Amino acid sequence: MAEEVRAEMVANVWKVVVGVGDTVSAGDTLVILDSMKMEIPVLSEDGGRVAQIAVREGDVVQEGDLIALLDGLPAA
Amino acid sequence: MSLSTLERIDPRIPSARLTQFFDPDSFEPFTTADSSGVLAGKGTVDGSPVVAFATDATIQGGAMGRDGCARIVHAIEAAVRLDAPVVGIWHSGGARLQEGVASLDGVGRVFAATVRASGRIPQLSLVLGAAAGGAAYGPALTDIVLMGPDAKIFVTGPDVVRTVTGEDCTADSLGGADVHARRSGVVAITCDSDEAAIERTRRLCALLADQGEIGPVRDRDLGSLLPESPRRAYDVRPLVAGVLDGEVLELHPKWAPNIVTALGRLGGRTVGVVANNPLRRGGCLDAASAEKASRFVRMCDSFGVPLIVLVDVPGYLPGVGQEWEGVVRRGAKLLYAFSECAVPRVTVVTRKAYGGAYIAMNASCLGATAVYAWPTAEVAVMGAEAAVGILHRRTLAEVPAQRRSTVLAELTAEHARLVGGIDRAVELGVVDAVVTPADTRAVIASTLAGAPAGRGSHGNIPL
Repeated sequence: MAEEVRAEMVANVWKVVVGVGDTVSAGDTLVILDSMKMEIPVLSEDGGRVAQIAVREGDVVQEGDLIALLDGLPAA
Repeated sequence: MSLSTLERIDPRIPSARLTQFFDPDSFEPFTTADSSGVLAGKGTVDGSPVVAFATDATIQGGAMGRDGCARIVHAIEAAVRLDAPVVGIWHSGGARLQEGVASLDGVGRVFAATVRASGRIPQLSLVLGAAAGGAAYGPALTDIVLMGPDAKIFVTGPDVVRTVTGEDCTADSLGGADVHARRSGVVAITCDSDEAAIERTRRLCALLADQGEIGPVRDRDLGSLLPESPRRAYDVRPLVAGVLDGEVLELHPKWAPNIVTALGRLGGRTVGVVANNPLRRGGCLDAASAEKASRFVRMCDSFGVPLIVLVDVPGYLPGVGQEWEGVVRRGAKLLYAFSECAVPRVTVVTRKAYGGAYIAMNASCLGATAVYAWPTAEVAVMGAEAAVGILHRRTLAEVPAQRRSTVLAELTAEHARLVGGIDRAVELGVVDAVVTPADTRAVIASTLAGAPAGRGSHGNIPL
């Protein structure tokens, strides 16, 4: 199943940690946001293959903006 | 046909579900099974008395008639007399159409009985099938709602929605587990199987029915559960687990996840934990998280469950969205809930407590039993750098751009010295003592054990 990872709050994109095509596990950090004077990691909930990274470092994201799109991995 | 044969035929019949819920051989039905659509009785959970009722999904889809509703009212009143928790196992399409307004009257009586018992005995709802209309509000009035994998909760089903408004939806998109766990906040716990949902309901019953006394606690160094960088956000749930003995029952894990509410035990005694979660929304308080915490605090208070409040909060989430969502009105609930609390409640500031959110997280001014802080914690109106940005706006604007960061650092250090660190907060008495992460469990336990037992005298309105 595909996973849409969206911003939970207004923030600056500080670091993009993964790239398109990478395989991530549940709980892995995808990007790190900077908001409320904190570095806030954005994690994958289910894990999968990164199909799209919708932000670049330095971007400002609003609540609800798409950050990344993950494809589910085929069952082993 | 014997009962056991019937159970094998249809696991939805109330006697099957109630037998599965109670300790083995402990279920005593109040009546024989009949066509009323409800079976109720008493039994034990981990040895503690509990009352439970179940709607009968095999008769008219579990629809609630006058007689069935009277059984539920009787069960709730019996639980109050026994001073025992009452559990409702729901699978019902709502009021019986054939009975007309008589069934509506019955359903309303269930609501009123639930409210009369609210805050006096724990009321739990386990929804295992569709729960529509009256069968949705019945659970919603209780303290904790759990959902199995086939459960749906809605006021009106997808067919009616389609007929009346033309909106196209499925039972799942309307009232499935994911909707209620993440968006509506109706449901506190969702489970992948009916068995798991029944087991969780039993665990909650055991925690609330047999709260125990605080015994000795083993020390654990909780400091390693925080990241080294004070700027880095982290998941607070391992810290919550570290404070508690073992079992952690988190309520509403996916709704308003920037605050964690959980039941567990400390030194063997049932306690409630409220903790900011910096990983989600930076741990900010907002409209939904304040409301979630308020209801939890009032529930614990009404059942005499002491509270532990773990604070790492940068403030209230700023923005138009929050103001429009009523962060002022809904945030006020948390101030009210803590101020009203009669149960012992201990606050631990692990990293920071800023501004209005400092007050809302059970500050000493709201009547906290004690407020402790870890040695590096900050308690302030805002972070020093942000404060300097406001207090010295003009000075900073006047210095040349290349020197600005140096001046900002100097002014920040000076400001920090003037307002004082955690020592100043201790001097003022707003923090009772600085405790190390390694001593924290023991200090919380001895504070709670030494505080006079209290219990709020109020109901638990679904805030």
